[in-house]
Amino acid sequence: MKTGVLALQGSFFDHVKSLELINKEYKLIKSVTDLDNIDSLILPGGESTTMMKIQQNDDLFESIKIKINEGMPTLGTCAGLILLANDVIDGQTSISCLNTVVERNAYGRQNESFEGLVNFNGNKEMYCFIRAPKIISYGSTVTPIALIEEEVVGVNENNIVGLSFHPELSNDNIYLEWLKNFLKDGLNVRSL
Amino acid sequence: MKIESTFKIKKGLAEMLKGGVIMDVVNAEQAVIAEKSGAVAVMALERIPADIRAEGGVARMSSVETIQEVIDSVSIPVMAKARIGHFVEAQMLESLGIDFIDESEVLTPADDKNHIYKHDIKTPFVNGATDIGEACRRIGEGAAMIRTKGEAGTGNVIEAVRHMRSMTDGINKIITADVNSLMSIAKEVRAPFEVVKDIHETKKLPVVNFAAGGIATPADAALMMQLGCDGVFVGSGIFKSGDPKERAEAIVIATTNFDNPEKLVEVSKELGEPMVGLNIDDLDETEKLAKRGW
Repeated sequence: MKTGVLALQGSFFDHVKSLELINKEYKLIKSVTDLDNIDSLILPGGESTTMMKIQQNDDLFESIKIKINEGMPTLGTCAGLILLANDVIDGQTSISCLNTVVERNAYGRQNESFEGLVNFNGNKEMYCFIRAPKIISYGSTVTPIALIEEEVVGVNENNIVGLSFHPELSNDNIYLEWLKNFLKDGLNVRSL
Repeated sequence: MKIESTFKIKKGLAEMLKGGVIMDVVNAEQAVIAEKSGAVAVMALERIPADIRAEGGVARMSSVETIQEVIDSVSIPVMAKARIGHFVEAQMLESLGIDFIDESEVLTPADDKNHIYKHDIKTPFVNGATDIGEACRRIGEGAAMIRTKGEAGTGNVIEAVRHMRSMTDGINKIITADVNSLMSIAKEVRAPFEVVKDIHETKKLPVVNFAAGGIATPADAALMMQLGCDGVFVGSGIFKSGDPKERAEAIVIATTNFDNPEKLVEVSKELGEPMVGLNIDDLDETEKLAKRGW
């Protein structure tokens, strides 16, 4: 079985690179018919407004939501986190399946974008935050799994993980090992 | 620990724009239409290239008011153009909080020998290039993204195609070359050796490469994507056409589905009039913007 990588727009080839490094087969997802024969899903960084617009064509996100609710391991990074979140501060619509509130570009514009030391999966690594969304709050069913200083920058709920940064631009061994385990069944998430 | 504006962060924003369409806009109203149509970023301009071409005169960085108005009106990244070599315009755009600076041949050059040293500016830069040597020189100066120059404001895609094919040939030559030939290639194409060596080792350009200049239809956008571009800039093609919103949406869908002819047919229906095009051969040599850049 393959991992589906949402490929409407954004840095999806960087996630493909990660999957190649862990020898996981992948499939690019552009329409509803592409969702067959996948066992896990990655929603990449990019512009969430653009992705929302393009998917309207065949209501792709409705079908994706069903897959996620059925328990498919799903990772969203940056814009991918925005797409997963139940609520987006500026009122933008999303897939809505992760019990969090996020705010787009809350760390500032590009000049304020940064590489930051993130505590994730029992390891500290420098990761990129690019016009990143901020996790404003999360429900009691959600576990924080990544921190920068004291701030939560990654969360897990059941089979879903949302990160406000880009581990796929670093592809360090600890991230890749984590990814391999997570995509297997979505349950191998180490909490802080 | 946080470190801002590293080259990885500059390059990273360009990575996030991949597969997307960046649209030229001259005011907040157009910026909102672009965002709603699925643009991945907007380029804030005083005049679009077709008008600069028609009206002539010196084309400079947009007014501070125009740029501020566009920044305030959308949530997607905002780009703006500085003249070639005009590092003070770049410093001002950095101060305004622009997300990407286009050091552009569409504006009248401010320096006939030097481009801006881009590593000193926090904001990432995109630069035009007609071949691999020019791309490598710009990357050496700190460009975090490259685009074809094409021939802006003509609605004619031939120059963008020429530049993209030339770029691909140049990259392939470097990748397949014997390591002993790399310095000779660098000398031949007038490129910094380190950038040539990097391309040889990683087997790709170190930054994202978009198409720009003359893209007017969904088919043009898909053509450039099939030729290997990472995304497209559309300048005059949208707001000089009969129905900008419809055309903008169609070009966005075409860029995602560039390899799906059925989809391209579907989005190309009932688009209204495209912008009127110019034949490149009819242009005087001095009117060719792609010649600007050193």
